[in-house]
Amino acid sequence: MRLALRSEWTKIRTLTGPRWLLLAAIAATVALSVAVTSVMTCAAAGCGHDTTKLSLTGVQLGQALVVILAVLVISGEYSTGMIGISLTAVPRRAIVLTAKAITITGVVAGAGTIAVLGSLLAGRLILPSHGFTPAHGYPPLSLADGPTLRATVGSILYLALIALLSLGVATIVRDSATSIGVILGLLYLVPVLAPVIGDPHWQRLLQQIGPMSAGLTIQATTDLHNLPITPWAGLGVLTAWATAALLAGTLLLRLRDA
Amino acid sequence: MSAAGIVVAGLRKRYGATQALDGMSFTVRPGLVTGFVGPNGAGKSTTMRVVLGLAAVEEGTALVEGEPYHRLRHPLRHVGSLLDAAAPHPSRSGRNHLLWLAHSQGLAAHRVDQVIEQVGLTPAARRKAGGYSLGMLQRLGIAAALLGDPPIIMLDEPFNGMDPEGIIWMRGFLRSLAGQGRAVLVSSHLMSELQGAADHLVVAGRGKAIADASVADLIAAASRNRVALRTTTLPDATRLLAHAGATVTATGQDTATVAGLSPDRVVRLLNENRVPFSEISAHRATLEDAYLELTHDAAEFRAATPAEVSR
Amino acid sequence: MTPFPQLLHAEWTKFRTIRGWVAGMIATALMVVLVALLAGVSSDQHGAPPVPIGPGGEPVNDSFYFVHQPLTGNGSITISVSSLTSSIASGPADLRPGTVPWAKAGLIIKDGTRQGSPYAAIMVTGSQGVRMQDNYVNDTPGLPGPVSATSVRWLRLDRSGDAITGYNSTDGTHWTTVGAVRLEELGSTVQAGLFVASPDAVQGPGTVPTVATAVFADLRVQGGRLGDHWTGDQVGPESPSFAGSPPNPSGSVTESGGSITVTGTGDIAPAVRASLGTAGTIADILTGTFPALIAVIVVGTLFITTEYRDLIHVTLAAGPRRSRVLAAKATVLGTVTFTAGLAGAAIAIPLGGHLARVNGVYLFPATSSTQLRIVLGTAALLATASILALAAGTLFRRSAGAVTAVTTVIVLPYLMVAQIPFIPAGVTDWLTRLTPAAAFAVQQTVVPYHQVASVYTPYNGYYPLAPWAGLAVLAGYALVSLAAAAVVLHRRDA
Repeated sequence: MRLALRSEWTKIRTLTGPRWLLLAAIAATVALSVAVTSVMTCAAAGCGHDTTKLSLTGVQLGQALVVILAVLVISGEYSTGMIGISLTAVPRRAIVLTAKAITITGVVAGAGTIAVLGSLLAGRLILPSHGFTPAHGYPPLSLADGPTLRATVGSILYLALIALLSLGVATIVRDSATSIGVILGLLYLVPVLAPVIGDPHWQRLLQQIGPMSAGLTIQATTDLHNLPITPWAGLGVLTAWATAALLAGTLLLRLRDA
Repeated sequence: MSAAGIVVAGLRKRYGATQALDGMSFTVRPGLVTGFVGPNGAGKSTTMRVVLGLAAVEEGTALVEGEPYHRLRHPLRHVGSLLDAAAPHPSRSGRNHLLWLAHSQGLAAHRVDQVIEQVGLTPAARRKAGGYSLGMLQRLGIAAALLGDPPIIMLDEPFNGMDPEGIIWMRGFLRSLAGQGRAVLVSSHLMSELQGAADHLVVAGRGKAIADASVADLIAAASRNRVALRTTTLPDATRLLAHAGATVTATGQDTATVAGLSPDRVVRLLNENRVPFSEISAHRATLEDAYLELTHDAAEFRAATPAEVSR
Repeated sequence: MTPFPQLLHAEWTKFRTIRGWVAGMIATALMVVLVALLAGVSSDQHGAPPVPIGPGGEPVNDSFYFVHQPLTGNGSITISVSSLTSSIASGPADLRPGTVPWAKAGLIIKDGTRQGSPYAAIMVTGSQGVRMQDNYVNDTPGLPGPVSATSVRWLRLDRSGDAITGYNSTDGTHWTTVGAVRLEELGSTVQAGLFVASPDAVQGPGTVPTVATAVFADLRVQGGRLGDHWTGDQVGPESPSFAGSPPNPSGSVTESGGSITVTGTGDIAPAVRASLGTAGTIADILTGTFPALIAVIVVGTLFITTEYRDLIHVTLAAGPRRSRVLAAKATVLGTVTFTAGLAGAAIAIPLGGHLARVNGVYLFPATSSTQLRIVLGTAALLATASILALAAGTLFRRSAGAVTAVTTVIVLPYLMVAQIPFIPAGVTDWLTRLTPAAAFAVQQTVVPYHQVASVYTPYNGYYPLAPWAGLAVLAGYALVSLAAAAVVLHRRDA
């Protein structure tokens, strides 16, 4: 396992692609957060915005790049045929996938920490000049605030879990384009579909099981009783998705000819 | 160590309607270069993938040093292999490709530089593999196979894309590997490539080994003491040689192939009986002849239409 | 040079012989249909109050406080208004004074108190001056300026057969005509009288209930036969649009010394999305366009990127003019995707619409030509997106980046504008004008009205660009990318 891990780390650091994707993920996350916090204004007390969540909006864009990175970790090997070499070097296939999962979690959590803290900092710097002042009920964003800390740590975990979900799906699907289509569909479909579901019970259920809609509840710091699912339970739903995808991926990887 | 080399026994595998392997069995012994030949689709690559644990079989076993491949702790220290030279990631340098492989086997970086030197890839080692020629990719693949200094080397079509100089280098290289006591399995669909390199041959056809013998035996069997004869009095010569126990087959108006007698004996008989002749030559079969004879059926199979194949 | 039809034929053969791509196209059509099914089946509005329909067939708001009497035959009714003040709800049971631009107080002649019945009215408004309005959608301006004790407005409504004429005056003696309308459906006996309405006010991304109070005087009826007394009634107390109004001010009328004070809420106007939240639209039914979009993006990308694995040399050798090869690919891909989208949308709209109506959901109406525009537009949207994906695939050569980029540029702006209600209108306007998400305008059926202050944002189904103009934005992106792809393909070693 230690050797497989070292080998996967060498693989990811000897390509320029992952480096650029991680940088792009950080840039995209912070950029969207800056854009969103720059357009929001709060004219009077109690304008009903969740400033922590607003500042972390960029995660919704950054995750797209994390998806590419995680998918390419495995589908890149399938497209060239290198998977054959990898499995020849490490014949225990579950170990190969585990090593990939640990490596990708590490790099995404690392980049995610920068991206999420950058977004939060942007919010802290930008929001007060847009009316989100202590007078209006918005103290500056701070990690000392329990819910904000939870949202911040949770957003980093969210990105890492998105990477694991993507790795799992890509192991099942193998082709990169189709994998990304499936994952983006999985993520974006629930938020798009939920409003047209007329039955509020079904609508809520859909938001409870959607990997993105449930997972991103971790960013909420206000109005918690109106969430479809509690923050940590929401992240738990995403964890379940990622686990299921990875287990199915491991099983197929073991059963199929490489 | 229970058993050196590779032992393949009774492999069977289907791909849909196609029986890819149909009882493939052979042994690859240390110190010898074993050629694995047969037409495309005979099951050579599939067999190698089965040996490496990349493909599963319905029946049969493939053991490496007496163990299934997946049980090996540092597999590349036991078997070095090259299946698909184009497999390395195009954006990674050749050296880095070898580096991750080395790390997966607990080998140090200086071993990587050693094998790069050994295959003569040093000038290109730090360039992206996407820019390599097929010949360079083959060398990179061979470097990867040598990385763990394994007692067994398995190469699928290593001559592909090599220039004549490269082919000569490869033959010598294979001989030297066997000379170091390694078991070497080399597949090729062109028999001529293996001439002078292989000691032992496994001929594959329709998913099984249709011959498994030393190169010397195969050539002898294909030659079977044949003599080519040219004479203006073919009927006299035929009668005389047949009487002496030979099989004479006319191949033209004044040419024939004589089997069952040595060239010396044919010359002596014709001279003693004053039968004139203009040419007598020993007909020695090439490895190619032996191969064509053996794979005759398989080749016919290949030329058949898909509809007939599926029947 | 290979003739273009042959290139087309070659590309079509390539396309149809890959099972996954054909499956992707079938999935495209299926997803449009399945989501329509899901939306239709999951909806349940049984028991909801019926949506009033105006004489023109459009959904309307028709709830207001009405002080009325039956009026038979020709006649006229005159009044003066000296005050119109509004209060805006800023919390439960917390009303604060404020300006409601389209708060209405004045005279109305209406074909009974049934919601949606024909009417003509002249009124003062919160900030839009005197208006004459009829049959919900028509609006004519009269005297400008607000009404007050020092700036009293006199209003008169005169019926003569089918013709109803509205007049206004600043002094009760010098009258000017505001407008004259013909109400064909009007019976000989109508309900005539005073009314006050106050529509929900726009506040941030949503609306809040309001209530208005007007002070009238000098009520005079000439000609015609009146009933025996004035009655104050709430028209449409149980209407879909009235449900969110403040609970207690259900309207009232008091009279003292010749002045009549009327309080009312509601609106007499065409319904818009924000005032009729329970109603659905064809765009809702076609939400399956999203998963379909992802499917066509994947197929569109793969149609070129798989060639980069090894086939591109063969393809370019067969047709050395590379831009022609790209054009052939775009043509084949666009046609196939268009057909799949057309089939999906053509089935989804009637199917989803039927299921929604069966479940009691009111759908914003769309004429046949609008429905045809939406079907063709949805098919064109998918086809254009697939061509954008093809171009991106050519530029990136890697499918992963291309699929993500195209999906993100179309879906993310849409998610931002259509899913997050609190993004400021200026930003959503900008996003739906400039990003490829503008193309969703092609599915719009709801109509904005100048005389209804509401939230006309993409979130509510209102796009800033006209349907085809929105699609043109996406087409522009596709064309520019395709041109860039052609240039790159030409310059680059294959």
